[in-house]
Amino acid sequence: MGLRWYHFALWIAFIGVMFALPEYVSKGTLRTLIFANFLAVFAISWDVLSGRTGYISFGHPFLIGIGAYTSAILTKRFDFPLEASIPIAVLVTMVGGLVVLLPALRIRGSYFALVTLAYMELMYQLVQVIRPDLTGGTRGMSGLPTLTRGAENGFYMSTCLMLAVALSTWLLMRTRLGTALSAIGMNEDAVSGSGLSVTRLKMVAFLFSAMLAGLGGAMYVHYLGSIAPRALFDINFVFTIIVAALIGGAGTTIGPIIGAFFLTFLLEYLRPWLPGAERYLIYGGVALVLYMIQPKGIFELVRQSLSKLRRAT
Amino acid sequence: MIMRNLLATTLIMGLATPAMAEIKVGFIGSLSSDTGLSTLRGAEIAIEELNAAGGVMGEKITLVTADTQEDVTEGVKAYEYLAETEEVDFIISGSIDDVSLGWLPRMQEYQIPTLDTWTSYIGIIDMVVEDPELMAPYFMNIASDEALATLYINFGADVLKAKMGWDSVVVLAEDTAFGEAITGLVTEALAPVAGIEVAEVITYDVGTVDFAPIFAKAEASGADFIYQVSSVNSQVISSQYVKLQVPMAMTGVNVAALGVDYWDDTGGAGGGISTLSPLPSVGFKLDPTSQAFVDKYQEKYDSRPTVPHFNGFNAYYGLKQAMAAAEEAGGFKDAKAWSAKMVKQDLKLELDGKLWLRYGFWEAGEVEPVTDRTYPQNALFDLSAPYEDAQPSMVVVQWKEDGTPGVVYPFEYATTEFELPSWMK
Amino acid sequence: MLQVLIQGLLLSGLYALIAVGFTLIFSIGRVLNLAYGAYLLIGGYAYFYFTQAIGLPKFAAVLLAAVIGCALGILKFLLIVRPLRGNHVAIEISTLILAVVLQSAVVLAFGDSSKILLPIIPGVERVAGAAVPYSNLFAAVMSWVILIALWIFIRSTHTGRAMQAVSMDAKGAAISGIDADRVNMITWAISGTLGAVAGVFFASYTQLYPGMWVAPLIIAVAVVIVGGIGSIIGTLIVAHIIGFMEVLVSTYLAPELRGIFTMVLIIAILVLRPRGLFGREEL
Repeated sequence: MGLRWYHFALWIAFIGVMFALPEYVSKGTLRTLIFANFLAVFAISWDVLSGRTGYISFGHPFLIGIGAYTSAILTKRFDFPLEASIPIAVLVTMVGGLVVLLPALRIRGSYFALVTLAYMELMYQLVQVIRPDLTGGTRGMSGLPTLTRGAENGFYMSTCLMLAVALSTWLLMRTRLGTALSAIGMNEDAVSGSGLSVTRLKMVAFLFSAMLAGLGGAMYVHYLGSIAPRALFDINFVFTIIVAALIGGAGTTIGPIIGAFFLTFLLEYLRPWLPGAERYLIYGGVALVLYMIQPKGIFELVRQSLSKLRRAT
Repeated sequence: MIMRNLLATTLIMGLATPAMAEIKVGFIGSLSSDTGLSTLRGAEIAIEELNAAGGVMGEKITLVTADTQEDVTEGVKAYEYLAETEEVDFIISGSIDDVSLGWLPRMQEYQIPTLDTWTSYIGIIDMVVEDPELMAPYFMNIASDEALATLYINFGADVLKAKMGWDSVVVLAEDTAFGEAITGLVTEALAPVAGIEVAEVITYDVGTVDFAPIFAKAEASGADFIYQVSSVNSQVISSQYVKLQVPMAMTGVNVAALGVDYWDDTGGAGGGISTLSPLPSVGFKLDPTSQAFVDKYQEKYDSRPTVPHFNGFNAYYGLKQAMAAAEEAGGFKDAKAWSAKMVKQDLKLELDGKLWLRYGFWEAGEVEPVTDRTYPQNALFDLSAPYEDAQPSMVVVQWKEDGTPGVVYPFEYATTEFELPSWMK
Repeated sequence: MLQVLIQGLLLSGLYALIAVGFTLIFSIGRVLNLAYGAYLLIGGYAYFYFTQAIGLPKFAAVLLAAVIGCALGILKFLLIVRPLRGNHVAIEISTLILAVVLQSAVVLAFGDSSKILLPIIPGVERVAGAAVPYSNLFAAVMSWVILIALWIFIRSTHTGRAMQAVSMDAKGAAISGIDADRVNMITWAISGTLGAVAGVFFASYTQLYPGMWVAPLIIAVAVVIVGGIGSIIGTLIVAHIIGFMEVLVSTYLAPELRGIFTMVLIIAILVLRPRGLFGREEL
């Protein structure tokens, strides 16, 4: 697997810093970190599906939404306990992952991106029209059971989730499977020429991504305590997820985490100075410039400057 | 490295929020919509006046804002920001329905006294009924949907049936929870109460580009008039109605037509539209106190909304009431004590010696006789003429084709008469 | 029946106009321009600003909106598309970010309350039970005129044929001495112009609001997917399929299912016939 001692050292340092944070930062910052953690989970999940295999999805909220709505409906309308509703939501989302896989068997590139966008749009419309007594229609649902209360508990919960997702993704991607997935991203035909089953590889990637999205979505909705179609199946949400993964560094595990933290804090720290619409203008502008400078993301920027430093000394 | 930077910035941020003896009010809502700005500015003027009079409990009132962009998740973040970073004492909200529903679980968690001035969703009042403990700090000083719809039925009986002689209606409702709720109330009550039969209910998608086929369908139903229910993209249906010169009268709920800037926004393509409106509405006769508020508003702000929407008045009076309740309860810290005082607040405004507007709240267990249900912590209203206990839950306004809006119902509040659009005469 | 025909033709004309600029870029640059909807957004607001705020004549305002759209197209090509040459994913993502940036810029400049455009030509005629506003009729006729002009341009001018060549085979075109950069820039300019003009018509049909770039983008996406790339005539036909489907669903079925049918059609076509109904064989 090519694991080195410094890999473990870095992970342990990262985990250590995360768990030490509540000692040093304000409650408001913890709340911001919670959103950063969830965004990191979604970005990692997107990256497994899109960043690695090159099948760019513009409809990732389709999967997140399935997880979130399944668990919300089960707990709110059928009084399921959370321990049951979240695993069911993850399973249902994995079925959703197969639905996303279906077009990926036949089409690639921009066409795949378009069909995922259509999936999300369809989901947005369906949630409002089909059985609004279950989904809550356009207004969504409020007063859902929550996993925890308070900033600190929420922080620990979301951090554990994020770290578990990050670590398992990282380990999985260091196996031969991860290498094969990246190879699909580079040249799919070459992979299928080498005798590997591309379909099976893609299926594993899509199922794993859907599992993370479903888990993230279900936990997210039970952190927020409310759900609304407009907040989930929205192009702005897609935008945030994809940009987080790409700004940080697609095709890596730490990249989406860096991107999610960077974007969330950028937006939140602009708030006291630019309370209104200017905030989003700056936020989008910074994202655009950063992305234009280095499409491989902050991870690549840091790596390059580190190796420059090393050469200089 | 990144983590350390992050920590450093966070610490600086932590220091940047000083803790002084002051009452801190948080505004939550959109900073770029007329809805949000109405509430914000109403609150600003109230705070200015209170501070000029020496503040509350000897302390100055300050205001911080948190923008929601009318986005549900941003709304949750905004509420958290106000509660945990700014640590405000009281929150005044100009949020729309789904945004309020989004942050309500946070309100329940933090127990910060909170006043909603725009959303009228009855589902939130139902939450107060179901869980009065958890919802104690929450108040809504606009009459809720159910009260709005109930009075609207009376408009059907008194004007549409009695004066216009219409017997049947086709309902054109948007495909939203709001549309569904209002349609339900109206279809249930119109026939038995007002004697108007519902010929057909047409539900449309809020993203509809072209309403021509839908209006054609409405015409084909053979009904006497159209009842529209529209809260999202409302300008589209009303302006296409005018552009297509649909040969049927159209009345109902059109959220876009609630502010005076509607006329400029539609370029005048909105004449003939009538809608129910919470009060004080456009074209509403104002009592002297409210008029003074509007004058001050127009002196202070020269951008839109040029006249505050109803929720601007709600914020102005509501904020003062919240401060008065705090003074009586010894501050905002004990949310239950504050809540007990807030519900007792009662402001009566008169015009020409008659009760004109009243800002008060229903208490728990107090049953409203017409709808036979309770509305705890919801704005007081009166559903039967001559409106001696409080103002009606709503008025019906109509935009005339020359751009002047007027109140057409209830008659006690009317400034003009309901009429047909010119292309039908 | 006649009424459905009239309403369908009017709406489809608008859809064709919205989709053609998007198809053009997709066919020639092979790039999904997710900021395409932003041309409509900027075009619509520019028209609103020039007519209803400044008071210019409507025709001048449409022209100015078109010029702004054209400039936006060229700028986008020079600042985003050319530097990221070849990296399709990067171009798609940057255009998506750009669309969101432009949306916030519009909120900043105009606020986020919706605005209604005055009809370009006021008045309405009733034909066979269908109300035909002159404005919509004008939009439909204009969209036909623009599409036919574009078709002639591509067929019979030197630049047009160069565009065609790049669209079929970029490498081959380069060998035969076509400056692909120039052709691409012209395509982006035309696409921006068409987008801005479509924005004026789309906004006068519905309304102006900062999020209005998403709906036309979805329409354009639908037309491109169902039609397949590379054919203006295909775009025209598919715009009519989608337009008529909407009118038929609204009239005979249930208006609230309008959007769902379009999405189901897109997904079905993509999965069953990825190249679209009229697409070329190669992708």
